[in-house]
Amino acid sequence: MEEYIVEMRHITKRFPGIVANDDVSLGIRKGEVYALLGENGAGKSTLMSMLFGMYEPDAGEIYINGEKVSFRSSNDAAARNIGMVHQHFKLVDNYTIAENIVLGVEPMTRKFGILPAVNIKKANQDIARLSAEYGLEVNPTDLIENVPVSVRQRVEILKMLYRKAEIMIFDEPTAVLTPAEIDFLLKIIDGLRKSGKTIILITHKIEEIKQIADRCAILCRGRLVDVLDVKNASVREMANMMVGREVEMDLHKSPANFRETVLKVSHLTVENENHFPLVKDVSFEIRGGEIFAVAGVSGNGQTQIADAITGLAEAASGSIVLKGKDITRLSIRKRTQEGISYIPEDRQRTGVVMDFSLEDNLALRRYYREPYSGRGILNFGEFRKNAELLIDRYDIRSGQGPKTIVRSMSGGNQQKAIVGREIEEHADLIIFVQPTRGLDIGAIKNIHKQILKERDRGAAILLISLELSEVMELADTIGVIFSGEILKTAPAGSLTRNEVGSYMMGVREA
Amino acid sequence: MKEKKAKGLAGLLTSERWADATVSVLAIILMLIAASGILLLLGKNPAAAFYSFLQGCGLAPKANYGGGSGMLSDLFNYLNILAPMLLASLSFIVAFKTGLFNIGISGQMLASGFLATICVGYAKNLSPWIAKPLVILIGIAAGGLCGAFIGFLKYRFNIHEVVSTIMLNYIISYLTGFFINTKYVDMLTRSSRICSANARLTWTKVPIKGVSCNIPLGIAVALAAVFVVRFIFDKTAFGLELKIVGASRSCARYAGVNVRRGIVMSMALSGAFAGLAGVVYYLGYTNTMVPKTLPGMGYDSIAVALLGNSSPVGAIFASIIVTIFQSGANYMSSTIGVAKEIASLITGILLLFAACGEYMKALGRRAVERKEDRILAERAAARTKGGEER
Repeated sequence: MEEYIVEMRHITKRFPGIVANDDVSLGIRKGEVYALLGENGAGKSTLMSMLFGMYEPDAGEIYINGEKVSFRSSNDAAARNIGMVHQHFKLVDNYTIAENIVLGVEPMTRKFGILPAVNIKKANQDIARLSAEYGLEVNPTDLIENVPVSVRQRVEILKMLYRKAEIMIFDEPTAVLTPAEIDFLLKIIDGLRKSGKTIILITHKIEEIKQIADRCAILCRGRLVDVLDVKNASVREMANMMVGREVEMDLHKSPANFRETVLKVSHLTVENENHFPLVKDVSFEIRGGEIFAVAGVSGNGQTQIADAITGLAEAASGSIVLKGKDITRLSIRKRTQEGISYIPEDRQRTGVVMDFSLEDNLALRRYYREPYSGRGILNFGEFRKNAELLIDRYDIRSGQGPKTIVRSMSGGNQQKAIVGREIEEHADLIIFVQPTRGLDIGAIKNIHKQILKERDRGAAILLISLELSEVMELADTIGVIFSGEILKTAPAGSLTRNEVGSYMMGVREA
Repeated sequence: MKEKKAKGLAGLLTSERWADATVSVLAIILMLIAASGILLLLGKNPAAAFYSFLQGCGLAPKANYGGGSGMLSDLFNYLNILAPMLLASLSFIVAFKTGLFNIGISGQMLASGFLATICVGYAKNLSPWIAKPLVILIGIAAGGLCGAFIGFLKYRFNIHEVVSTIMLNYIISYLTGFFINTKYVDMLTRSSRICSANARLTWTKVPIKGVSCNIPLGIAVALAAVFVVRFIFDKTAFGLELKIVGASRSCARYAGVNVRRGIVMSMALSGAFAGLAGVVYYLGYTNTMVPKTLPGMGYDSIAVALLGNSSPVGAIFASIIVTIFQSGANYMSSTIGVAKEIASLITGILLLFAACGEYMKALGRRAVERKEDRILAERAAARTKGGEER
C-alpha cells in the first residue's frame, strides 16, 4: 500500500439540513500539489477545516504520516505541522507584519535579565530571512493595514512557514488577486513544492489546477467523484465532473444592438470622509443593450462609482443622468424606483441581511411595493412565491428553502440569491460589482448568460469586475480605471487583453 | 429520507419554533431552584415563601384579610403594577429590535408622568371622560417627544443613545424634582400632591362582592399595546424596515430604507410606550411622585424584555413572573420574615439564567448531534456485520 502523508478515510460531516461531506476518502502524497475542485457548497472547505481541526468529523478517520489523529482545535493540527491560509485572512490590522507572524509563538527575551518580553528584533530578523529564502518579499515592520491584499497573503504563507508547517492548505487563494499576482503566487507554490512541502489547494478555477497541481480530487455535492492525474485530464472533463452535468463553455454572445443612452455620468468626483478624491472627474455613457465593463485593479475607485450612481455614496461634484433625468441628488430608494438594480461588492455586509430568512432577503429591495405590501401591510404569500421562483430559477441551494437563515448558506449561494433578486427586477440599468466572485464555473456561466439576456432585452449594464477574463468575455465597451480615473474607454474588440492589463497598471497611451 | 425530529428537551431547544420559549421556561425553573437554595440557606421553607409571594399578589388566598380588602383587591393591585411593567418592557423591545438600547425608560416615564400630573392631575372640575384620555395622550406625546429627541441627537450629532438617555435621566429627575419641591410638594409626605381621582387611570373603591377594589385601566392599555407592537413588527412594512435597520445599517441603506428616519421613529415609538408606562405608573398606581427618584421599573423592564426574548407576547409572561416577585415581596417579607430585597435578587438571578439562552441552545444542539451520531454508528455497525456474514 502507498504511503500517504495525509489520509482521510470515510469522512462524513453534517450540518443542519445539509450533508457537507458524505463518506469522502482521499490520500495525499508528500511533496505534491493536491487540488480539491468543486462547486460552491461542494464541501471542499468543510473537508479541509476538519483536517485543520476547526470541525470534528461526524464519522471517519484522519491519518497523518500513517498515525491516526483526532484534532480538537486548530492548535492540535498546527502541532502536527499543518497550516492553512483562509479565504478571509486572519490578521490583526494594526500590528506589523512581523508581529502578526509570530503572534502566539513569540520569541521571548528577558529585559534587564528578569522581565519577560517579546524579542521583536529577533522576530524581524527571522522573518526577513524566511522571506528571502522563499522569495516572499515583505517588509517585517510594515503595518498590515498599509499593505495590499497580495502582501497580506504572503504574510499568511510566512505565518505557516514560521510555524514549520509541512502540510499547507490554501483556501481559494487566488480569489482576491490580480492576474499578475496569481502568476506570482503559483510560482511561490511551485517553490514550496520543490522544497518538499505538501500543498493542498482548494479552488474552483480549473485553469490554475492545470497550471500547478499534480493531482486533483473532484467533489460534487459532498461526495468524492474522482481523483485525476492533472497531466492526463482535460479542462472540459474536469468541469463536467465537478458540476455533475455537461457544462456549456461557450457563451454565444450575440452582436450588440445599441439603443438610446440610459446612463450618462459626467465629471463625477467622489471623495472619502477626509475629502480625498477616490473617483476623479469620471465621465461615461451607457446605452441600452450595452455592457460597459470597468476593468481595474481592486481599490481604484470602481466601487465608489457604483455607490455614487446608486446613491450609497455622495457625489462631491458632477452629474448622473438616468434616461434624461438628473438623479444626482435623489435618495437611494427613488433611484431604485427610477430603474436601477445593484449587485454590491460586499454581499454579506450590504447585499443581504444575514440573520433574516432567504425569502425576506429575496424581497429586500421590493417589500414596500405592490404586491409585496399594500397600504403598509406585508403580504407574506407574495414573499414566498417570489422566493420559490428565484430559488428555482437561480438554483439557490439551502438547508430549509425559503425559511433558511441566510447566515447558514454558503457564500456562493448568498451571491446567487442577490444576483437573482436584482436581475429579476428587469431594471433599465443594472450594476454588477464582482457578480461572480467566489462562484464556481457552473454558477458563473449561468450568471453570465443572465447578464447577456438582460443586455439583449435592452438594459444598460455596468459591469465592474476584477476578473480580466470576465471583462474581456462580456464587455461591449471597456473603461479601464486607475487611481480613480478612467484612463481609456474603447469598444471591446479594439483592445487586447495585454493592452487592458497595462492600462490597469496605470500606463497611459502606449 | 426525511430526518426524524429529535424529541425531548434537546428537541425543543433545537426546534426553531420553540427554542426561545423553552429557554425562558428553563430560566424560570433554574431561578426557582436557585432561589430555593438561598431560602433554605436562610432557614426558610421555599415552598411557603413562594406561596406567600402569590398570596401577596392576590393569586392565592391569604389567611385573613383586613376590612374591605380581599383576594380580588390584591389581584387588581397586582395588575395595576403589572401594566406599567409590561408597557415599559414593550418600550425596550421596540428600540431593541431596531438595534437601539433605550435605557432612558425611567426618565421618559418620569417626564410624562410629571407632565400629565401637573396638566391634568391638578386640574379641577375636569370630567373623567376627558381627563383620562387626556392623560394617556399626554403620556404618549411627552414620552414620544423625549424618544424622538434622543433619536434626533443620534441622527444629527451621532451621540450614542446610551449616553444621551443616561444624561437625560438625570436632567429629567432633577428638573421634575426641582418643580415638585418648589411648587407641587405635599408638606406632610414630602412627595408631590395626590392627583385628582378624575384623572387617575384607576377606578377607585369599586365594590365587588363586598370588597373595595381599585380597577386598573392600565392593564387594558398594556394588552392593547402588546398587539400594536406585534402587529407593527410582524405585519407592516414599517416594522420590517425597523428590523432591517436593527440588523444591519449598511443593508438598510442598500435596501433604500431611510436609516436616520428609522432611528428617530423607533426611538419616538419606544419613548411613547415608556410615556404610557409613566402615566399608568404615576397616575394609576402611585398617584404621587417622590422628587428626584427615577422609577426602578425602567431598568427592571430590560430584564423582562430579555426574559421574554424581546417578543411582545413573551413580555406578557415575563412581566407576570417578574411582577409576582416584585409585588408580592412586601407580604412575603411580613409573613416569612425575609427582607423584601430578595425580590430584586430573584429578578437578577432570573436575568442571569435568561442571558445564558444561547448556551442552553448549544447544549441542546450537541445532545441532538450525539444522538444522531449514535444512530449512524449503530447503522454502520449493523451494515458491516451484515457484510461479514455474507
